[in-house]
Amino acid sequence: MNGVLAIYRKELRHYFRSPIAYFIVSVFLVGTGYFYTYNVFLGGTATMDATFQNMGVLLTVVCPAISMRLFAGEWSGRTMELLLTLPLAPWQIAAGKYLGALTMLALMTLGTAIDLIPMYMFAEPETSTILCGYIGFFLLGAACLAVGQLFSALTGNQIVAALAAVAALLGFWFVGNLQNFQSSSVLWYLAGYLSFADHYARFVQGQLIGESVGFYVCLSAAALILNAAWLRWRR
Amino acid sequence: MSAAAPGAAMIALDSVSKRYGSKTIIHGMSFAVETNEIVGFLGPNGAGKTTTLRMIAGFTAATSGTVTVAGHDMAVGNLEAARRIGYLPEHPPLYDTLDVAGYLGFVARAKGIPRARAAGEIDRVAAACRLEDMLRREIFKLSKGYRQRVGLAQALLGNPDVLLLDEPTIGLDPGQILETREAIRAFGAGRAVLLSTHILPEVTLVCRRVAIVNRGRLLAIDTPRGLQRAVEETSVVSLRLAAPADGARDALLEVDGVRGAATAPAESAANAVALDCAVEDRDGIEAQIARALAARWELLELRRRAPTLENIFLHYIRAAESGEAAA
Repeated sequence: MNGVLAIYRKELRHYFRSPIAYFIVSVFLVGTGYFYTYNVFLGGTATMDATFQNMGVLLTVVCPAISMRLFAGEWSGRTMELLLTLPLAPWQIAAGKYLGALTMLALMTLGTAIDLIPMYMFAEPETSTILCGYIGFFLLGAACLAVGQLFSALTGNQIVAALAAVAALLGFWFVGNLQNFQSSSVLWYLAGYLSFADHYARFVQGQLIGESVGFYVCLSAAALILNAAWLRWRR
Repeated sequence: MSAAAPGAAMIALDSVSKRYGSKTIIHGMSFAVETNEIVGFLGPNGAGKTTTLRMIAGFTAATSGTVTVAGHDMAVGNLEAARRIGYLPEHPPLYDTLDVAGYLGFVARAKGIPRARAAGEIDRVAAACRLEDMLRREIFKLSKGYRQRVGLAQALLGNPDVLLLDEPTIGLDPGQILETREAIRAFGAGRAVLLSTHILPEVTLVCRRVAIVNRGRLLAIDTPRGLQRAVEETSVVSLRLAAPADGARDALLEVDGVRGAATAPAESAANAVALDCAVEDRDGIEAQIARALAARWELLELRRRAPTLENIFLHYIRAAESGEAAA
């Protein structure tokens, strides 16, 4: 666990000492603020549903921007040689980096809480639905980061990693639309099961369903296991 | 870190090969480095020095053969061995966003040095690498020399039994080179050190044994004196005489035992020509040359030179290349 903590602390120091992290979080919060203002003040509804939906799509672009440097940055900075020769197991490196990225996601999530202040001041929103939405948002972000981190390790180039991750995540987001074209019930079910948007919509509607929680958790775990396996295999 | 038994091989390579796709980078390399020994790994650029060091450090795995470090097979006991290794890659692996103390703190934690000991350990390596005044400096603000020292400091953290240094003095100014060599010599005591370089004098100054590599093959490994003896069947005679260059060279080549002669323009003057000639290694060859030349021209200087490390290095590389060409 010490190895994971060493990597985690190094990652956090990096985030807070480089301007990129502040920039990415700012872009996300400005984007969220825009959607919130549009949906709540201009739309006139005191719910977070529509804003959560927009925030979900935004995550598929923002998360790769956070995750792209996780391993590609180590390759380009020539520090990978240090990481892989320190007495650290590949899983410890992958887990430490992932926890660092999750901390950034948690801070982003916390930042959006400011939107709730006027909501609670001027209306009576359903707290359980909002909480569910936040759980879904965090789980979706966690899955996006895990997939992004895997691509960062696989490609070794930050731009390629970001573009590949955005493509994959948007694929996961929109794959549910393929259901309209499926005659096979297996493919129809599969397209629905893999859909980020479908699972996320349940959280946004206030449903905390084990299958959806499990989907995001399993997908994140699978991406991290592949990440660690690849680090071991590439030797 | 436990001290190894004196004389035990801390680094052992047994028929190690490395292939990338169809290209073989390292061909069946075998050698060992013992505790209390600094071995210089000498070869031209692209000889396979870095790849070999990376295999020993565990960054990349051998395609065939075994690499053993402190008794651990790197193919299976990678983590155990990694605790005993300090590795400075060719480009110091530094995080520009961290300060020196933060960086060394990260490496200390990753090496599993207990928190109570970490601060003292960082102070120790900082003092050894003369970084005391730089601990709070951000790494991106450091000069190349200091970056190299920080890289060396991280390798020394945790008192590793094995030190692997890939071109540790490259890019440093002469003063820094001397300091780094001193640090390596000081830390070499009680450890196995493998130091790669293509700077020839470095190995004679620092290393007990020298391994010569070229094109992924180990050509020779011995003490500098042992290597010298092995190539002494040819030695070099330098001379200066008041004569036309062409005439002097032709006269030299006629002498029995002279295998080749070349003018040394840098040392030649208007009325005197300087020549280096390769001669058979036997007694009396200087007198024979002197007799042949002094009859016709005034001989100003004649001396026989022991083969330098440059000659030895080139001898092995050329011998290997002509062997490959013949095969």
